[in-house]
Amino acid sequence: MEQEEEKVSNAFIPSSLSSSDLEQVLHSLPSNALNHLFSLGVCVRCVLRLFGIKGPICASVDNGSENPLDSTTSNEAKLCNICLGILQFRFYDEREKRVLQKDTAYDVALLIADMVKQERYQFDTFSLEVSIPPLILQNETSVWSYMQKKYGSEPWFQEKLHTGCISIKDALKFSLINPLENLLGCKSSLCPFRIRLTYTHTKASEGVAKCSENDGSCKRRKTGMSLLFPSNSFSTPSESNLIGERPLSSSVEIESFDSSKLFLKSASEPCHFSYNCSRTPFYFGGRYLKYSRNVSQTRWIIDDERMGEASVEEIIGTKVLQACRGDNYKFHAAGREDIDVRMLGPGRPFILEVQNTRLVPTEQFVNNIEKMINEVENKLVRVKNLKLVGSDGWNLMREGEAEKQKQYAALVWTSRPLKDEDFQQVSSLKDLKVVQRTPIRVLHRRSPLEREKIIHWMKMETVAGSSQYFLLHLCTQAGTYIKEFVHGDLGRTHPSIGSILGCTAEILQLDVTDIKMECFLT
Amino acid sequence: MSNHVIEESNSSATKELEQKQEKEKEEEEDEDDELRKLLLPDVCNLPSVPPSAVESNFAIYFALDFMKPGHDQYVYRHANGLCVIGLAPSHVSFKDEGGITAIDFNVGKSDRSGVKVTGKRKKNAQHFESNTALCKVSTKNDSYIVRCCVKGSLLEVNQQLIKQPELLNASADREGYIAIIMPKPADWLKIKASLVSVEEYKKLREVS
Repeated sequence: MEQEEEKVSNAFIPSSLSSSDLEQVLHSLPSNALNHLFSLGVCVRCVLRLFGIKGPICASVDNGSENPLDSTTSNEAKLCNICLGILQFRFYDEREKRVLQKDTAYDVALLIADMVKQERYQFDTFSLEVSIPPLILQNETSVWSYMQKKYGSEPWFQEKLHTGCISIKDALKFSLINPLENLLGCKSSLCPFRIRLTYTHTKASEGVAKCSENDGSCKRRKTGMSLLFPSNSFSTPSESNLIGERPLSSSVEIESFDSSKLFLKSASEPCHFSYNCSRTPFYFGGRYLKYSRNVSQTRWIIDDERMGEASVEEIIGTKVLQACRGDNYKFHAAGREDIDVRMLGPGRPFILEVQNTRLVPTEQFVNNIEKMINEVENKLVRVKNLKLVGSDGWNLMREGEAEKQKQYAALVWTSRPLKDEDFQQVSSLKDLKVVQRTPIRVLHRRSPLEREKIIHWMKMETVAGSSQYFLLHLCTQAGTYIKEFVHGDLGRTHPSIGSILGCTAEILQLDVTDIKMECFLT
Repeated sequence: MSNHVIEESNSSATKELEQKQEKEKEEEEDEDDELRKLLLPDVCNLPSVPPSAVESNFAIYFALDFMKPGHDQYVYRHANGLCVIGLAPSHVSFKDEGGITAIDFNVGKSDRSGVKVTGKRKKNAQHFESNTALCKVSTKNDSYIVRCCVKGSLLEVNQQLIKQPELLNASADREGYIAIIMPKPADWLKIKASLVSVEEYKKLREVS
C-alpha cells in the first residue's frame, strides 16, 4: 500500500485520466483521513491538493464525473468548505451577474479568453495572477493543523509532509494555464501583460460578528473567521462535522488561535469571481520644444476656463494615448517654463507614462507617433528623440535636476543706450551670485525666502536698428528666476541687469535655449 | 592581394565616418541657424519704450487723500491677489525740501520690519486694517504716517528703505515700494471701490 502511494505522488501523471483512474488514486490514499475530509465538506480537488498530488489530475478531474466516494452530482454537491467552490468551478460571475457552474477548467479558461479577446489586446505572452479571500487560507490552515493533530503520528503523514500540500492558487493556475495558452495562442510567463482573477467572499463580516459574542478571550480579527476547530474530544469522523458553536478546549494548540471560539458553517454562497486583464504602464521618453507663447506646459484651468490655447502635456499625451489605445497618461517633465516662454534648442526632457495600452509599441510605431505629433498643422509643440524607456529613464531625468544648468535668451530693453563698455562689463561677469527674494508673482504660493543663485555667464547681442534693445544670452543655475533678474522685481532680486548697468531694464520676451542634461539626446 | 582589399575597405569605412560626422555638423549648424532666426526680433515691431514690469503684471490703483489730505498712495494689485503699497508721486512728503530723509517701521504696537513671515501658509503674518499704520516717513521738518490702504496680512516690508531711504525720493514707484499685503478676496472688493485708476489719478492730480 505504501509503495503504491509513493508511486502516485512522485510519478509523472499522464494528461488524461478516466474516472476509474481517479478512483484508483483515491483508493491509494489513507481511507480514514480521506473519509474524514469528505465528511468535513472538502471537495475532491482540495483533498488531492492536501495530499500533494500534482499533475493533470487536478486539471482533468471533471466535475461531471462521479466522485466514487460521493454519490451526488456536481450541481447538487455542497460547496467545498475550504475552497468555497473555487476549485469546483462554481462562482458568481461578475460579468454575467449570476452563479455559474463550469464542468472543467477549460470552460473557465474560455470565459477568461473571451474577455481578453474582447478588449483586442496585443500580446505575445501573458502572466496569470490569482487573488483569493483570506478566509480560504485561514480555513486551509485550520484543516491542515487539524490533520496534523489527528494524524500526525500515522506513518503516512511524514511522507505527505514531505510532499507538501499544493496551494489553491497554484492548483487553480495549474489547471487554467494550459487551456489559456491554447486559447490565447501563446505561452505564459512573467510579463507586463497580466490576467488577473479575483475571488472575493462576503462571508467575512459574518464571521467577525459571531466572534464578538464570545467572552473577551476571542482575538479580534478584521477578516472573517470561519474556521475548523480541532479538538481532542472528537474521535470519530462523524462527530467532526461541526455545526453551531463548540466551547474551546484550552489544551488544544493551534498556531495562531489560542482561545478563539470557532465554528464551521457550511458555505452557502460561492465566491464572487471577477476577471480582467491589464498591462503595466509603458514609459515614453523624449524632449519637447514649445514654439508658442500661449501654450502652458500642463493643463491649466482656473474657474472652469482654460489658460492659454493648449498644453504641451495634452498635445503629446492625447496623440500617444490614442495611438496605443491606452486608458490614461501622466506627463512628467524635467522642470518647466512659463506659458509665455518658448522652449527651444534641444528641448526639455520629459517622460510620458501611459497606462494599460492595448497595443505594444515597436520602435517603428514610436517613430510614427513622433512624426504625427510634429506634423500637426499649427506647429505649437515639437517632439524629439521619442522612444520607450525603462525604469532607468526616471533616474536619468531626476538625477541632478536641481544642479543642471539652463540657458536662456532674453529680449531686454534698457532705459539708456548701451555702449561697448556695457557689453564688456556684462560679459566679464562669471559665476555671478544673485540673491532673489521670492518673486511677487509666486509669493502667494511659495515661502518667502531669499534664494542665492548663480549666473554662470552672460553675453549680450545687439539687435539691428536699436541701441536700447538687445538679446541677453545667459547660462544660470537651475531654479533662477530670469525675468526677475532682468527687471529686478522692485529691487527684491539683486543684483539685476538694471542695477549692473545703472539704469532701468525691462524684459519683453524669454526663451529657453538649452537644458544641459544628458538624457534623451538621441 | 588580401592586404590590398583590407586597406581599401578601411579607407572607405573612414570616409563614411567622416561624411557622417560632417553631415551631423551641418545639421547642428542648421539647427543653430534656425534657433537664431527664432530668437532675433524684428525691430520695427518693438515699441520705443515698452511697458514696465509693473505695468505689465499689475493693475495699478491709487488711494487719494487717504485719511488726510495729500496722503496719496499707490496700490499695485497682482493677478495672484497680492498688493504692493507705496507712495504716489503726488504724496505730500515729496513737496518738502530735501524730500524724505528717514523711515521708521516702528509704529503702532509693533515694529513692522521685525516680523518674520514663514511658509506657504504665511505663518506669523500680522492682520491689519486699511487704516493701520505701516510706517512713518520723515522729511527735514515733518513726518507723515503711511497706512496699509488695504485690509489684509502684511507679508513683508521693504527693508532696503531703512538703510536707503533715498530710494523713496528716487524711485518710490519701484525700488521704493513700502510693503506687500495679502488681502482676502472679499476685503479687496470692498476697498477697490474707493480706489481710483491711473487715468482718473492723472486727471485728478493733473499729472501727465
